[in-house]
Amino acid sequence: MSKLNIVGHSVLRTDAYDKVTGGKGYTVNLRLPGMLHGKLLRSPHPHARVLRVDTSLAAKLPGVKAILTAADVPQIKYHPVYFSPSEAASMVRDMLILATTVRFAGEPVAAVAATRPEIAEEALELIRVDYEPLPAVFDATSAMQPGSPQIYEHAPKNIVMNPSFNFGDLQKGFEEADYVFENTYRTQRVHTCYMEPRVCVVDSDTSGNLTIWSSTQHIFGLREKLAFALGIPISKVRAVKPEYIGGGFGGKLDMGFLEPVAALLSLKTGRPVRIEHSRYEDFITTARNPFEVQMKTGVKKDGTFTARSAKSILDTGAHATHGAVVLMVHGFFGFLLPYRCPNQTWEGMTVYTNNIIGGGFRGYGAPQAAFAVESQIDEICDKLKLDPIEFRLKNAHVQGEPHPFDPNFTLSTYRLADCLEKGAKQIGWSKRLPVGASPGTKKRGIGFACQPLWVSGCMGFPDIYEHSGAILKLNVDGTVNLAIATVDMGCGQNTVLSQIVAEELGVPVTAIRVTHADTDTVPFDAPSHASRVTYSAGNAVKAAAASAKKRVFQVASGMLNTAPENLEIVDSRVQVMGTPANGISLADVVKRAESPYVKMVPDGMERSPIEEKGTIMGIACLAPSSNPSPSAVQFVEVEVDTETGEVKVLRVAYAHDIGKVINPSGAEGQVEGGFQQGLGYALMENLTFDPSSGACLAADFLNYKMPTAVEMPPEITSLWVESDEPTGPFGAKSLAEPCLIVPAPAIANAIYNAVGVRVRDLPITPEKILAALGKLDPA
Amino acid sequence: MKHSLILEVNGERHEIAVEASATLLHVLREDLDLIGPKKGCDSGGCGCCTILLDGRAVYSCMVFAMSAQGKKITTIEGLPKDGKLDPLQEAFIQSGAVQCGYCTSGMIMTAKEFLANSPAPGDPEIRRAISGNLCRCTGYHKTIDAIRTAAFSR
Repeated sequence: MSKLNIVGHSVLRTDAYDKVTGGKGYTVNLRLPGMLHGKLLRSPHPHARVLRVDTSLAAKLPGVKAILTAADVPQIKYHPVYFSPSEAASMVRDMLILATTVRFAGEPVAAVAATRPEIAEEALELIRVDYEPLPAVFDATSAMQPGSPQIYEHAPKNIVMNPSFNFGDLQKGFEEADYVFENTYRTQRVHTCYMEPRVCVVDSDTSGNLTIWSSTQHIFGLREKLAFALGIPISKVRAVKPEYIGGGFGGKLDMGFLEPVAALLSLKTGRPVRIEHSRYEDFITTARNPFEVQMKTGVKKDGTFTARSAKSILDTGAHATHGAVVLMVHGFFGFLLPYRCPNQTWEGMTVYTNNIIGGGFRGYGAPQAAFAVESQIDEICDKLKLDPIEFRLKNAHVQGEPHPFDPNFTLSTYRLADCLEKGAKQIGWSKRLPVGASPGTKKRGIGFACQPLWVSGCMGFPDIYEHSGAILKLNVDGTVNLAIATVDMGCGQNTVLSQIVAEELGVPVTAIRVTHADTDTVPFDAPSHASRVTYSAGNAVKAAAASAKKRVFQVASGMLNTAPENLEIVDSRVQVMGTPANGISLADVVKRAESPYVKMVPDGMERSPIEEKGTIMGIACLAPSSNPSPSAVQFVEVEVDTETGEVKVLRVAYAHDIGKVINPSGAEGQVEGGFQQGLGYALMENLTFDPSSGACLAADFLNYKMPTAVEMPPEITSLWVESDEPTGPFGAKSLAEPCLIVPAPAIANAIYNAVGVRVRDLPITPEKILAALGKLDPA
Repeated sequence: MKHSLILEVNGERHEIAVEASATLLHVLREDLDLIGPKKGCDSGGCGCCTILLDGRAVYSCMVFAMSAQGKKITTIEGLPKDGKLDPLQEAFIQSGAVQCGYCTSGMIMTAKEFLANSPAPGDPEIRRAISGNLCRCTGYHKTIDAIRTAAFSR
């Protein structure tokens, strides 16, 4: 491969200047003339029938322009998840825009649009709702017991999905085992904590056409879901891509109540309507699903897996939404696939409760699985005195094998072994002390966890979109417009895609301008999720650039009097390969294509060939040809204060095979940010609810403990194991999620090494450590 | 009922009418159309709304607009001097400290006061200084790099 000038370099974020000088591009800034403000009235009851909604007093409040109740909205059941078609067989359509039965504390029952937000708030207070409270249930296990409140008619025992998969002969596998381990692990509900709240503005015209701006991870999904829920043709909805959003992490991967409500209020009033979530509303809108994972594992004395079985219970809350898919990702990429074992069984259950809805969150079921799987492996190695690194290698997949999920694909690049080696060296694994051997009251320990197999997008997964498209337009000043539906939620998608285009086209990255896009004008791109943008959208923009280049060469070949195959673009100059002096600027080529066919010159007129005329564009719409697997390992060193139970993470070494690293600084940023989320997940974050009313007890940043700069370790080293993935743009695979999947089990394993305490439910709080050390007085 | 108020923001004088209960954040964004200070929680928990009030970093969502009369208010928009970015802004760009950017304005304003009072800060001091500014994207690592760079490039 020729030398790369832009890909592989830590190019500065293309939107950083704007963000450090104010940040114009967030949806939260949008104001339209005549705009009204909408607010949602939310049920205080976790489970209730709405008997009557009296809006008469609210309607009289000056400034109130429209009120909606369930009677005013289409009663079309939908599912809000962007990455799956509305009518996908594997998704559960159990949501209504406004319902007459509420199933979680906070479910909206009415909405108001007013000239000022304060008036809308006041109007909510004037709406009188008569509820008939129903018995509620708040944990999945209880929800499945006979006699528990039945939350939906379509889900007996509140079980909405119950897939199971068997491979090989589990019974035989356990018979062959020298040792069998049975453990249960539990994870908690945590909030995505994107800093820009969920917010939208919807405008309409008198023909019922809607334009929507939303802080969203997917404009095409928003268009599709909004049209479906409103019962209108898809062409009546135009979703505009935000320039960038203030974080998503999977929490903006579905349509909320706010978007269809704002749309209906706009249609009713004929004015734009804005709805912004308060932080409280965001806390009760989306969360990582809590899981209980019961594992039974059989191994030979040398550590080879002979049988693995697990049962996973997912609490999806009041609506199935992501719960249908999180379960499968958890089961397959969390449990069944990461390691080789001939005899495996997994059963999953997605269970309704009267808790808040579980949404998407980076890792999507895998962090919950990794906590269980990687903790248990550590427990097995400790019991059997096996080397945990050797254990993983013994049971790992091998490069070149068929992909465990879809044998149509191959593990063309697979470098788990290198990641283990590099990470171990960086952390000083060979100097690790035996369990509890660290001296003093503040004990140090080292542990690690892997995500051996992951995804680069969703190619091959049933009922999940995976295709992308891009439009490039070359300008007469040598710049290039990139119009693509991909949303930059902070990971640097705009920058990475610009790098890929620039590298392919032979122009500086500063020449690329990511421009306006909306669902009317650009090709479909699947959401910014599932670690897919670099690989999938990256392939699309690279192909679009190649297509633009062809046209550039067509025009330039006439100007330079040579066949198009002889040309190349280097540093914005179109030149003949081998004789770079024979060339012209790219800008001049574009000018030629865009200039009048006939040009007036001092002594008459000049014509250039008609074939050269016409804007130079490059368009590509495609699906990627594979789903290559990255591999990730994280080693951590912790210090556990045996007097307070407090855990500090001192050092992190993270080794990840992501194929070609497109932007090293950006990639490090992903790992560092992922660790903040993983650290919070492991040690402190917990979205708690009152066990009798379902009311959220941690719906603000003082009560919800998210790591600040003080809690983060001073040292996080990212080690890239580069490989050349043949199906990825410039050899790239994916990055985004494994760095959040591995921290919790790595920390749990390090804690065990430090103090011999094994905590099997997250978060691992000081209380749990002290209790396990026998230092808490029984109450 | 609205009260008239004179606010000095980024060196400019503004005469506006506000409700007594209006926060400074609300007034800056809605009445003065400044987009720099951001609403992350509106309850003093995240720091996205941080601005300088007479040089002190405060959560503008926790300040009544009316109490800011007579004080010098500086938002991120007021940092550049003579068309040149503040060293902190420059450092944030160069260090890769900006991801989604929503916390950035608040971070920089907090750091601005901190650096004015700390000639040679160590990393632990920098961490404590920004512990009231939440960030979900960066893990704070490159943010600290940026502040350190700005501190020692003076």
